[in-house]
Amino acid sequence: MSIFDLGERFLEFLTKVDIGDFRLVEELPDVDKYDIAIVEGTPITKENKKRLKEVRQKSKILVAIGACACMGGVQEIKDYRGDKKQLIRQIYPNIRGIDNPNIKAVKEIVKVDLEIPGCPINKEEFFKLINQVLEGKIPEIPQNPVCVECPRRNKNCLILLGKPCLGPISLAGCGAPCPAANFLCDGCRGPRKGSNLEAMKNALKIKARLSEEEIENLLERFGKLNELYANKN
Amino acid sequence: MNFMRIRIDHIAKIEGHASFTADIVRGDIKAAKIKIEEGARLFEGIMRDRKDIEVPELGSRICGVCPVVHTFAGFKALEDAYRIKVEEPALSLRKLMMMGQLINSHSLHLFFFSLSDFFGFKNDLELINAYPEKTHDALKIRDVGNKLVETIGGRTIHPLTPCLGGIRQAPDSEKLKKLLDDCKNILPLAIKLSELFINLKYPDFIRKTHYVSLTSYSEYAIYEGKLKVNGMELEPKEFLLRIKEFQAEDKVVKRTHFEDRSYMVGALARLNNNRDRLNLEAGKLLEKSRLKFPCYNPFYNILSQAIEVVHCFEESIKILDKLLNQNIKASEANVKNKTGEGIGAIEAPRGTLFYDIKIKNGITESVNIITPTAQNLANLEDDLEEIEKLGGFKDLSREQKEDKIKMLIRAYDPCVTCSVH
Repeated sequence: MSIFDLGERFLEFLTKVDIGDFRLVEELPDVDKYDIAIVEGTPITKENKKRLKEVRQKSKILVAIGACACMGGVQEIKDYRGDKKQLIRQIYPNIRGIDNPNIKAVKEIVKVDLEIPGCPINKEEFFKLINQVLEGKIPEIPQNPVCVECPRRNKNCLILLGKPCLGPISLAGCGAPCPAANFLCDGCRGPRKGSNLEAMKNALKIKARLSEEEIENLLERFGKLNELYANKN
Repeated sequence: MNFMRIRIDHIAKIEGHASFTADIVRGDIKAAKIKIEEGARLFEGIMRDRKDIEVPELGSRICGVCPVVHTFAGFKALEDAYRIKVEEPALSLRKLMMMGQLINSHSLHLFFFSLSDFFGFKNDLELINAYPEKTHDALKIRDVGNKLVETIGGRTIHPLTPCLGGIRQAPDSEKLKKLLDDCKNILPLAIKLSELFINLKYPDFIRKTHYVSLTSYSEYAIYEGKLKVNGMELEPKEFLLRIKEFQAEDKVVKRTHFEDRSYMVGALARLNNNRDRLNLEAGKLLEKSRLKFPCYNPFYNILSQAIEVVHCFEESIKILDKLLNQNIKASEANVKNKTGEGIGAIEAPRGTLFYDIKIKNGITESVNIITPTAQNLANLEDDLEEIEKLGGFKDLSREQKEDKIKMLIRAYDPCVTCSVH
């Protein structure tokens, strides 16, 4: 939807590319090769995974966009609970034929050349990065914390006010709309490289007075298993 | 030919992934089925045992097209459970965001998903090239919808400012003034777009069914009201007690029946139930369309959306005029007892959305989410079962038949992503 929200710029973008498969705007047969494939969402069904592998094979560059594709998204919460088999029974009387695998980010299934994270993605950032891809570059998102973009930094910092916020460990590039709206950064873009998870947890415990459970719940909002604990480099 | 199997994989121009299968036996459609091809995400499961406030925050992630309605349905359910009343001006701000949500979702569906069907275009680029001016108009209309949500909600997708009891942060009044100008300037374009849809030729197809929507005496109900169905007005709780959710084997979406019959929700249902409460210009357009009510032709859901876009522009102007004459403050409820059961019912672009929740000490015990598309699926399948009654259907080629089937499915504006949650 963010891509549609680019409005006129989206139309201009369409004139620069040939659309291969974009079911929201066309219903023509699929093409044989892609220069660039943009993938959103989490592959859950067997069919999803098959299609993802097929698209990877056909494409020179594969870009994953959004928290679901890059990290697993909120649906990964079911995997942390340890009761996903009971959950599906509570929701569906008939569970036969409904896939309920552990949630995987796109990069756990195929090679990803560029990730543009966020829930939602920042359309401005997307537009900038995708144009660089069109020029043949693979851009890198600077590893800054959300705090560098936050209008509340220094005197109005949510953490200093005793409220929870994941800004210090989360990857910037969104423009910090959440803290600007007096809403905590809930880490939808995932952690930046080299962030200090322990210090973050301490701040949430001491400054924001969150319990261990509340901290874990907050950290797992958009898929922590793949990112937060694995990402020490 | 006595037997023909129709199979449409991955129906384009709907939100999400679905296929269609049916057999035509001696001209009669048998076993028309929509197959939803999305994976289950178990949203109702992941919300359990977490903080109450995560119901709207996570619920918003069910869908990128209509995150505003999921957010509000979640908050309304919590507010119902805690017996909190949202006061002005927060109530008006929320309603204004809903107008933005309907405008952006409808204009996307009308112009980019549906219009090509009337011209036989298989790719929107053909449509864009054939109607460049109309395309720009559609984008301008959609942009106002986005700005309404963004200015008040803090961003276009997954709004940030709604909170228990109100709105966490007051919007800047200068920006609201600008929004009012935008609404006034773009309203004529919305009327023009609506006229385009009045002048289209809709397939001739009638099947009687129930039309369900919220209804209110004071306004064209979008944000709140009772359920109107079959001449009755029911409280949301009563309505939910009288519908039956059922799930066939292998199906990832639960369909619903009201008193053992399928029913339709969405723009056409709202016009059938509440058209006398449309704003002035929208009412004039409806008159101009010469649509007869009750209207039992689901293809007119498209025209109904076009008329609603105009209504939403007029309503936004009304609300903004009123808001700009008062001091807009943020409001947040301080809730002591966070235990209770509640229902949030709201008119999403595609029809009534329900969140039915149970909370104990601020922690969610259970959530049931019933989306418009899940409710519409049974009705859509019943329509498809009778599509041979569509004027001239039997003389169409196989491809033309498939095109009509796809057109009917798209007329419902299904959001498959929402239906699997």
